[in-house]
Amino acid sequence: MNSPPRLRVYVCTWLALMALLAGTFTLAHFRIGGLNTALGLAIAAVKVLLVGLFFMHLKRASALVAIFAGAALVWIAILFGLSGTDYATRHPSPAPWTAPDGH
Amino acid sequence: MSARAPSPEAIAWRRETASLGMWIFLATEVMFFGVLFLAYFHWRVHDPDGWAAASRLTHEWLGTLNTALLLTSSLTMALAVRAGWLGRRRAVPPLLWTTAALGLAFIGVKAVEYTLEWRDGLVPALHFTYSGENARAVQEFFYLYFAMTGVHALHLAIGVGLVAWAAVRLREPPTELSRRDTVECLGLYWHFVDAIWIVLYPLIYLVGLAR
Repeated sequence: MNSPPRLRVYVCTWLALMALLAGTFTLAHFRIGGLNTALGLAIAAVKVLLVGLFFMHLKRASALVAIFAGAALVWIAILFGLSGTDYATRHPSPAPWTAPDGH
Repeated sequence: MSARAPSPEAIAWRRETASLGMWIFLATEVMFFGVLFLAYFHWRVHDPDGWAAASRLTHEWLGTLNTALLLTSSLTMALAVRAGWLGRRRAVPPLLWTTAALGLAFIGVKAVEYTLEWRDGLVPALHFTYSGENARAVQEFFYLYFAMTGVHALHLAIGVGLVAWAAVRLREPPTELSRRDTVECLGLYWHFVDAIWIVLYPLIYLVGLAR
């Protein structure tokens, strides 16, 4: 970590981010069903990865920093996983004070 | 007080702990935004067509412009951190001011969007007049839209304030060793706010464009 990455690394990262932005905006106009959302999120994930690796220097970070960055993703996966199975498998059970029409 | 300069090991150790502390804070921020994304996921899978219709009411060109502004601000922020790293102290404040200006421009565009949505009666609870067949989905969508973009804009406004503060402080003589650490931690926060927007962008603006 003694010398920072070269200027070129930052400029190329930015160019890639802008190209991905143009790509995701264009792709969103094509009718490809569920792939629209899947591709939009996949491109977003690549962009976040680029920002993390090169702008936030995760590529050169210590193991401890990398573990905490990864742990954030693990916790969010638990949140989505456990809550998702709950919502996907249960009928909505209204609280005692819920209005009869359900909302 | 000892006049001895800290050893390189001590400086490296402090830099590492400062960075680690920032990452732990950012992990908690992921959880904070995570519940909003979960609510979005839950509502959207239950009415995909209604949400596509709601998403079409957003201004995708303004959203795309804002994404470009924020991505560029991350570049200038990263270059500020790099300049500090190389010891080019005089190069840091202009890069920080550019970053803050791009952040302000983002908030300005967001304000324009909010104004248009108020005009169109798309603000749940305060001014909601939409009454199509997807009215309920539109209301849910815009409830989360304002919650998510609102807390994001708040984070960005705090970032703009902190970056401007650092730019002013850096004009003073470098009496504190922690200057570089400060800019680095600010950079981590700034890039995190950028990353949240990167995920929000397709979920808000791009849902219903293909028809």
